[in-house]
Amino acid sequence: MKSEILYPGAFPMVRVYLADGETVKAESGAMVAASPTIDIESKMEGGFLGALSRKMLSGEKFFFQTLRASRGAGEVLLAPTVPGEIVVMDLDGVNEYMVQKDGFLAGAEGVKIESKMQSLTRGLLGGEGFFILKISGTGQLMLNSFGAIHKIELKPNEEYIVDNSHLVAWTSTTTYNIEKASSGWIASLTSGEGLVCRFRGPGVVYIQSRNPGSFGNWIRQFIPVSE
Amino acid sequence: MNLTPNALCFGDDLPATGAPCRVTLSVDGLRLIPSEGSPLIEESVAFAALSVAAGGLDHDQLVLSWMTGASARTLYLKDPTLIVAFRRMAPPELTAPLERAAEHVRRVRHSHRLFGGSAVGIVVGLGLLLWFGSDLIVEWTVARIPIEWEQKLGEAVYQDALSKETVLKEGPAVSAVQEMTQRLTDKILHNPYKFQVSVVQSPVVNAFALPGGYVVVFTGLMKKAESGEEVAGVLSHELNHVLQRHGLERMVKMLGLAAVVSIVVGDQQGLIGLARELGLNLVTLKFGREQETEADVTGIRLLSAARIAPEGMIGFFERLSEKDKERVELFSTHPMSAARAERLRAELAELPKRSPEPFTFEWKSIQESLAKSELNK
Repeated sequence: MKSEILYPGAFPMVRVYLADGETVKAESGAMVAASPTIDIESKMEGGFLGALSRKMLSGEKFFFQTLRASRGAGEVLLAPTVPGEIVVMDLDGVNEYMVQKDGFLAGAEGVKIESKMQSLTRGLLGGEGFFILKISGTGQLMLNSFGAIHKIELKPNEEYIVDNSHLVAWTSTTTYNIEKASSGWIASLTSGEGLVCRFRGPGVVYIQSRNPGSFGNWIRQFIPVSE
Repeated sequence: MNLTPNALCFGDDLPATGAPCRVTLSVDGLRLIPSEGSPLIEESVAFAALSVAAGGLDHDQLVLSWMTGASARTLYLKDPTLIVAFRRMAPPELTAPLERAAEHVRRVRHSHRLFGGSAVGIVVGLGLLLWFGSDLIVEWTVARIPIEWEQKLGEAVYQDALSKETVLKEGPAVSAVQEMTQRLTDKILHNPYKFQVSVVQSPVVNAFALPGGYVVVFTGLMKKAESGEEVAGVLSHELNHVLQRHGLERMVKMLGLAAVVSIVVGDQQGLIGLARELGLNLVTLKFGREQETEADVTGIRLLSAARIAPEGMIGFFERLSEKDKERVELFSTHPMSAARAERLRAELAELPKRSPEPFTFEWKSIQESLAKSELNK
């Protein structure tokens, strides 16, 4: 499987080349176009219960679609729902990525996806919900963000503070704690940051340059109210 | 030789995602074999040079660090079998730090379980509270509604309910009901309500009470009754619904959280608006069995205190339930049962015997006047 990002920027697409018999898993609804040699299957990753738990618990779409080059090599065009960048990374079999539920776009056949429950404080306060996706295995993984995607590299014991609603993905060698943005509660709330995550390396944290929740609040004022 | 990597190595000169490598163990220490294309150089590290800790997102990875020349190296092991093997091979000097690391992992897992358990517990507890404690919540809420609000609220619904009905303003029937009301309310201790009892022209055999002291008696009920005592029995029952704030309780139950919130934030207009929204539903509101029993028992006590023969109440209820089961609306909102009559008789037996005082009116002439006013209409 090879891939290339078309139209990098706010409205990108990924072109995935599949050799004969190869498959790619994608977020359902992500396929834009495909060669006639490609078959689309709905597959429930992790079996029915796994898919159900992913749907119920993390709000991720029930089915992933599996695109299979069953009648010869071909290509698939994939795009996320929201405007924003796509990043492609190679999983080496040892690194594991924690991905917030809207971040997953597509993955090669060897990519494993599980839902994982976070601890209570992280789930309640972290802003990504109680359940996140744990993605491991080998092969290419494509993530998408709302806005541009930014990579933060952390050396061992290096720390970085991230507003939790900007989180996209982080490696499992990092740890994080949830803290108030400012020292007092009032200052935390009025600074508009509220709660933040303090990440500690080693590892990588991917963040998105726009906050979907804030964007939603902002755009609401322009939506006409129908009586 | 390219082996499947089983660990990640970190360092200042290595990529931030870590350099994948293969770790093998021997009696002296570990051997690090970098994956193909990795900037990492193959090396052996003695156990003595290592410091160990727990790390990673869930504190379930074994973190080994050491110095290679001037640069620090940190190795993350995630594979459980590799971690077990390392603990077995490690010399006694490392046992204490390993034990500490393991203890840390156990503690973290324990607290996760504890958190998870308490989260489930809280959710289940809240569910149970809502299931079994809803009555308590309702009671708590109702106790916080001032009488004046209740009166305004009842008035609003009362106006809506009677806007299309013919309310009798005067006449023998009205004075009779006023006399009954007067005799009953005189005996109520600590009465915060100003009762307003109206007689409404309607063939329906029913009476109802609204929050705040608004009671309506239909002429249908008065025509069906064989004596003033029977009507007084129904009236006493309805007055006690008001006194026990049953209507308010039902309303809070129906309106639910919205009502609770408007009470807590003191939004009186909101509450009245909500009640209006319910509209006439409040009139046909069914009281619960417990509320009925409560109103029965306190009703019969009030009758006895007012020296009105309480047998009339029981007899009327029983008679209506036997004869006109389908047509009597009173029992759609006040279901009558043998058990209920039994309960009333038992209560009556316990009350001190008081000689009843008759009403000043002649019941037959009241009923005749009702029949006449209907003919005129």
